[in-house]
Amino acid sequence: MIRGIWNRETVAMVWVAAALPLAVTWLLAEGSAGAIRLLFVLIVGGVCQAMFTVIRAQRPSLAGLVSALLIAMLAPQVGPLQFALGVAFGFVFGELVFGGWGRSVLSPAVVAIMFLGFAFPAAAWPHLPVQIEWAVFPAVVLLLAFGVLPWRALAGAVLVLVIAGGFALPPFGSAVAVVLVFIVCDPAICATSPLGRWLAGALFGLLFALFGSVWQASAVQMAVCAALLVSLSIPLLDELAIAVWRLSGRFRHG
Amino acid sequence: MKLWTTLTEPILRQNPVTLQILGICSALAVTTTLAAAITMSLCLTAVLVAASGIISTIRKHLPSSIRLIVQIIIVASLVIVVDQILQAFFFEMSQRLSVYVSLIATNCVVLGRTESFALHNKPLSSMTDALGNGLGYSLILIIIGSVRELFGHGTLLGYSVLPTVEQGGWFEPLPLMLLAPSAFFLLGGLVWLIRSLMPKQVETPEHKLVPAEEVPG
Repeated sequence: MIRGIWNRETVAMVWVAAALPLAVTWLLAEGSAGAIRLLFVLIVGGVCQAMFTVIRAQRPSLAGLVSALLIAMLAPQVGPLQFALGVAFGFVFGELVFGGWGRSVLSPAVVAIMFLGFAFPAAAWPHLPVQIEWAVFPAVVLLLAFGVLPWRALAGAVLVLVIAGGFALPPFGSAVAVVLVFIVCDPAICATSPLGRWLAGALFGLLFALFGSVWQASAVQMAVCAALLVSLSIPLLDELAIAVWRLSGRFRHG
Repeated sequence: MKLWTTLTEPILRQNPVTLQILGICSALAVTTTLAAAITMSLCLTAVLVAASGIISTIRKHLPSSIRLIVQIIIVASLVIVVDQILQAFFFEMSQRLSVYVSLIATNCVVLGRTESFALHNKPLSSMTDALGNGLGYSLILIIIGSVRELFGHGTLLGYSVLPTVEQGGWFEPLPLMLLAPSAFFLLGGLVWLIRSLMPKQVETPEHKLVPAEEVPG
């Protein structure tokens, strides 16, 4: 592969391509209501990105399409005005204000979904159909083939989830699969050090297992909450990994 | 003329909350309603002006080694006076503000102004500076307080502005506005707005991105 073509937008294109099977499966399951929801998020998010492009000359990213899909899929059900507010908040304060995709520590999807979740605690969380989990598999294969997915984070999370689930089948639901692959393993926000990636994945698995055992909530809500906490602790995990690396170097050289 | 500059400078250009990011603890805590925000602003401005005046008057007799203790004692005494007045005449409001009036004693705006200005200037200009800073603080508190009350309850100062769904209107209140995080978001948005209107206030970035590495061919 030619290194020269690997810029941010190439990664974003692979990212969008991986989300396509997910989008198709979800739209087939949800029908026109889902399509309208997705279109709504795309328009609000697109307007936000366009404004930043015009005012700040900030390059828009195709990755916004995936964020929009995730928001449409996972956000709690609220009225249109509140939904628009949440989506705009997620895109602007979660990503654009930091300089766009790749410069923020949080995914705009997580920010928008949790904003709506906290702002409207009574709103109903969506239930993801079971076939979504299967649509995630081709995405994982594609992302791994292109080397976009941080596989250590994925492996860490799957390991912890399988052990915590007592090796039961199926190991976890579609909410976890979507959130794990498209939010926790987002290459722009996941940890950058190898150990940090293992830790981030394992932390997600642990948090989800913990929530599942003590909290009577929808799987989507638990998964997104876990993803938010993981994203916020990623700088700490990276710092930890660097400290461990330094310490090991000291012992190696005497 | 110079007094006028001292008075107006801290209101927007040198605002203690949005430029120096001081005193945000109370700015977040007491702004759920506009009435509380206004009361808090008045209390803080009164304490700040009085403390600046007193400290500036005795500035030449203050040994430098104990100046902080003396300043804290003066500020704390004034805070107690203000707190007692509130409890005596506006009991309900003092209950709603709870500890935050007493916490004016630890507000960084107060000690910051007395330490950096009142200790080096004459009483009149010190008090003008204190008043300007108090007004700057009040401006931010009142803006955030009105937005939070308007969108959290649909009211302003208790009067219904946006008729809520419960009262048969159309407006669905945002409960998030009554939680502390929303004050953070609003304050952040306000700082952003002011700094994009006045680019002078923007801090110099700590880091710079290295341009993408050119691959040798």
